[in-house]
This record gives sequence, C-alpha cells and structure tokens, in this order.
Amino acid sequence: MTMEKSRSKSALSGLLLMIALVSTATVTFSAVDTHAQKRLNVVTTLTDLADITKYIGGDRVEVLSIATGYQNPHFVDPKPSHILKLLRADLFVTSGLDLTSGWVPPLLSSSRNSDIQPGGSGFVDTSVGVELLNVPTNTSRDQGDIHIFGNPHYWLDPARGHQIAHNIHAALVAVEPESEAYFTANLVQFDTTLEGKIKEWHTRMEPYEGAKIVAFHDQWPYFETAFGLDIVDFLEPKPGIPPTPSQLTKVMETMKSNEVHVIIISPYYKPDTAALVARQVGAHVVTLAPSVGAFEDVESYFDVFEHNLKVLIEALQPGTD
Amino acid sequence: MMPRLISCCLFLALSVNAFGQAQTNPDISLIGDVRAWYDSEGPRNIDLGLQELETSYRSVIDPYARADIYIGIGQHDGEFEFELEEAYLTSLSLPYQLQIKAGKFRSNVGKINQIHPHALPFIDTPAVYANFFGDEGLNDQGLSLNWLVPNARFYQELTVEMTRGPGESESFVHDEDSNRMMMVGHLKNFWDLSDDASLELGLSGINGMNGLGETSTIAGVDVTYKRKPLRYNTYHSFTLQVEVFRSWKDTGGSTITADGLYAMANYQLARRWFAVGRFDHSDLPDNPDWNEKAVSATLGWHLSEFQKLEWGARHSWGPDLDASWQGLVRAIFVIGTHGAHEY
Repeated sequence: MTMEKSRSKSALSGLLLMIALVSTATVTFSAVDTHAQKRLNVVTTLTDLADITKYIGGDRVEVLSIATGYQNPHFVDPKPSHILKLLRADLFVTSGLDLTSGWVPPLLSSSRNSDIQPGGSGFVDTSVGVELLNVPTNTSRDQGDIHIFGNPHYWLDPARGHQIAHNIHAALVAVEPESEAYFTANLVQFDTTLEGKIKEWHTRMEPYEGAKIVAFHDQWPYFETAFGLDIVDFLEPKPGIPPTPSQLTKVMETMKSNEVHVIIISPYYKPDTAALVARQVGAHVVTLAPSVGAFEDVESYFDVFEHNLKVLIEALQPGTD
Repeated sequence: MMPRLISCCLFLALSVNAFGQAQTNPDISLIGDVRAWYDSEGPRNIDLGLQELETSYRSVIDPYARADIYIGIGQHDGEFEFELEEAYLTSLSLPYQLQIKAGKFRSNVGKINQIHPHALPFIDTPAVYANFFGDEGLNDQGLSLNWLVPNARFYQELTVEMTRGPGESESFVHDEDSNRMMMVGHLKNFWDLSDDASLELGLSGINGMNGLGETSTIAGVDVTYKRKPLRYNTYHSFTLQVEVFRSWKDTGGSTITADGLYAMANYQLARRWFAVGRFDHSDLPDNPDWNEKAVSATLGWHLSEFQKLEWGARHSWGPDLDASWQGLVRAIFVIGTHGAHEY
C-alpha cells in the first residue's frame, strides 16, 4: 500500500515535472520564437548597405547582401536562388540610381513580394537625399557606360554614409515603429562613431592632399573628393570600355608628366593591364576595397576606409618603390 | 494599316529620349538584328539585310501587376511585317508564392524557348526547336500559373500553362471549331553548387491538338551547368547545356515517336569574347525516318552591353538531306533603356 502510494506519488511528481519541463520548454521556445519572429528580414544589394543596416537594426534585424564585396556591383547575376532571399524580405535596401538596373528589376519582378517593389513600404533607396557627383550633361552612350543620374558609388565617401544610415533608419522605423527608440539610439551611435573616424581619417590623409593618382575605372570620385586626392586619368578610355593601346599610351604620358606613382583598381578588375602600365612608368598598383568584404580585413563599413587609407598611404609614401 | 502601325511604333520608340523619360513612362528599348548569311544550298547562296527590329515596352502598372510588350518588325519573303511577339500581364502580389501571367507569351518550355533570339549565344535556332516548335519557338495566347515551391533546400518553380493553341507551330495547332487547348507544364529546379557554379534541371511537358485533329505530346529535359567566378564574372564563364525532347504524335490509328536534342558549350574567352559550340540531332515529329544532324560554332564579340557581333558556321547532314554549309554574321544593337542581364 505504502509502496503503491509512493509509486503514485513519484508518478505524480514525474508527471508534474514533465508538465513543468514541457511548459518551460514551450514558454522558452515561444519566447525564442517570438523574438525570432520580431527580427526583420532585410536584403540589400551591397554589403556596405548590409553592414550599415546591421549597425542601425542591431539584433532586431537579419540582414544579407546579394552582392559580395569583391564582385562588380553592376554585373551581379540574377540567380533564381536570390529570389528565395527576397521572397520573405521585410525590407529591400538598394543603392538606387542605375548601378544595379541589370539585375534588380528581374529579381524584384519574380520575388512575389509586393512590399519590396519600387514605391512599396519595404523598398529603400539609400541614394535619396545624397548629393551626387558627375551628373552628366551629355547623356549619349558614345560617352561609354555612363550613369545618367550621376556616379553611383557614393558610399565611398564616408560623409555620405550618414545619409545612407538615415535613409535605412527611416525605413526600419516605418516598418517597426515600436523599435524607434532602439534604432535611433543605434543611429546616433553610428553617426558619432563615423564623425569621429572621418576626422581621424582626414588628419591621416592631410599630408597627401592633392596627391595625383590614376584609376582603372571611374568609380572613385566620392573617395577622391572626400580625401582630397586628384585622379588625373583612367585606364579605361570611357567608363566600361576596356583599356585600349592608345589610351594606355596617353595615360603613361600623363603619369610621367604629372609624376603619378599610384594606379588604383578594384578587386574585380584583372590587374594585368594596370601592372603593365605601372611597370612602364615605375608606379604601384593599389587594389582598394570598393565595398565591405572585398578583403578579409574589411569586415565593416569603417574597415573599407581603414583598409583603403592604409594601403594608399603606404603607396604614396615618398621613396616607396 | 500595317505601315501606319509600324510607323507609330517606331515613332513612339524613337521620339522618346530614353534618358529623358519621365518616371511614369514605361522602359522603352529597340533592338536591331542585322545579318548576312551564306548557304551552300539553294538558288541564292548569299544575302544580307535587316532580320528584325524589336521594340519593347515594360513597366509596373500598379502594386499588383506589371506589363511587358514586345513588338517585332521582321522580314518575311522580302517584306517587312509587323508581329506582336509578346504582350502579357504578370501579377506581383498573389499569395502562396503564386504568379499569374496572362496574354501572349513564349511558353515556359525547355531552357531557351522563353529567350528572344537576339539574346541567345548562337545565331541559328537549334534543329530540335525548329522542327518540333518552329523557327520562332512555341509562342501562344493564354494563361500561365507559376508557383514557387516552398522548398527550403533548393529553388523549385512549377509552371502550368493553358493556351489556345499556337497559330504557327510544327507540332500543335489552333482550331476554331474545337474547344481543345494546349497544356504546358514545366518544373524548374536550381541548385547553387558553390558561389561560382550552379546546376539547373528542367522538366517540360506539352499536350495539345496536332494538325490531324488528334493529340500530340512532347516531353523534355533540360540540364544547364554554369560556372562563373564571382570575382571575375565579367571575364570568365562556362556553360554546358543539353536539352532532349521526345514527341508522340497520334495520327488516328498509330503514334509517331520522334526525338531531338542539342548540346551546347559556351566558353567565355575574355571580357568581351565568347566561343560557342553546339551539336544538333533532330527527327521530324511527322516522320521519324527523316533526321537532321548539325554541328555549329559561334564566336561572339560583345563590344559593350549594348552591341554585339557574332560569326557563326553550321554544317548539317542527314540520311535524306544533302549535306550543307551555312555561314552567318549578325550584329545586335540596343538603344533605349538598359535591359536585364541574362542568367
């Protein structure tokens, strides 16, 4: 009898324990699940926009970028697998203008997600409010692969990073107003950090103000303006047109007459031509990071400038061979 | 009427500066296909001229749908003729990952049927497409329902189409005195093998009325392997593509079975140069005893994103076919808005 009671008691205790465990697990799971559900799904075109979104959105966003940092952002292939990423996106963040016009429209059309279509609540164009450089007055394509709204590589000026962050912040607040205070605190932190770093970067670049360099492709006007550089020519005769022998001859003459010792290039352009020119005129080819993830040490938006200034200053040092 | 329509289309396309279009205007572009060719057979062995001019108008209508319209002006028997190539609405916001297309469109069959000829990496139509569907491919009016299968492991898309029966096709017809429709099914499977490589497997099925008033069924398998390094994707790529079709044509008392296939390799030699080799084999859906084999090579020079020159040579032979040689040169140019990149 006693044994039966004891068994009943232990069975009851076991049952209660199981219920408690299951309840705890359910509550825990629900809490995790609710928390997971609260995370906004954000898909960006570029890694730079993804990194800034992570900064502002913190742990309330899940962010992924379609392009990698070492890929030409104009020639990203619109793979079917990208459609799966866009299907459940709450926000689609793009650098806008016409940089990604070859691959974003077909992906959005196939995404079956009306929120992220242009004009939709989840479509974010980070170029809004950004002052653009090199807006063409002649829009004929005999000028090469020109960008009709202006040069689209504006994230390469850190000062313009403020506007990008503010655009992303506004979109995050619009889709999740209850997190406004959290997003705003992160934005303030981002602005403060970026402001401090911009001052530091300017100080580091002061000795090189006006330094003349040559670029492979016309994608650095914002970087050039931000850090007081002077890009005197390009290896491409016109944007998007591969270097020609006559252009290279002209560039070599320009480099010699202006004592230019640095050619900057992106990791997605083959360095052979730039290396050939550099050998002829005794210059250096410097591969800059056009975006986050271009190199292993470029893990954040701030790292883009840290890396680029480091390698550029090394190349611009007097006496560097 | 026809010349007026053509003039109207051209005026619309050319009078609007692509760069100056208001945001509310559709994306307008005009694509020209100019070619010269040599054929070892026939009374006239060489010729040249404008093959086709295609105008496209594409725009989102509202948050719920977009419209795509393609009008071609092509040369047939020395005369330029207006042809509505495609005009369809596509839904943008249906639930359950569905998408509907309605209007006139290229059927979702195989890998290349939906691609316009100027965007293909070769100049001539593969023999199996020409013999089974016609030189222009399978293009019809109707409804297409597309479902993005909720498969977390890989991309899978199922399409079911119901169309009225094409006016011009080697295997299927439209009959005003019948309620028969053409049915098309396509299952597309896509895997990212790595950042640089992908594999696509498509399964197609078509069922409709043939010219004898009976039923024809065609089944197809397409496999595409693509390698394109992310970092240098503008310099190097390699595509291997194979499509195989089998046709069953009911003639009333018997069934004619016919097969066809092509295998293509496309290697990007440099930033602007592409080399393509292809092997074709095709029966005729009406006559399996007749068959055609061909080998062809195409060299493509992409001057910019808006212009390419291609040189092609093709040698074909068969048991009831005189061996022949064809040579083709074509220039494709695009003016207007930037088109979508193909993948």
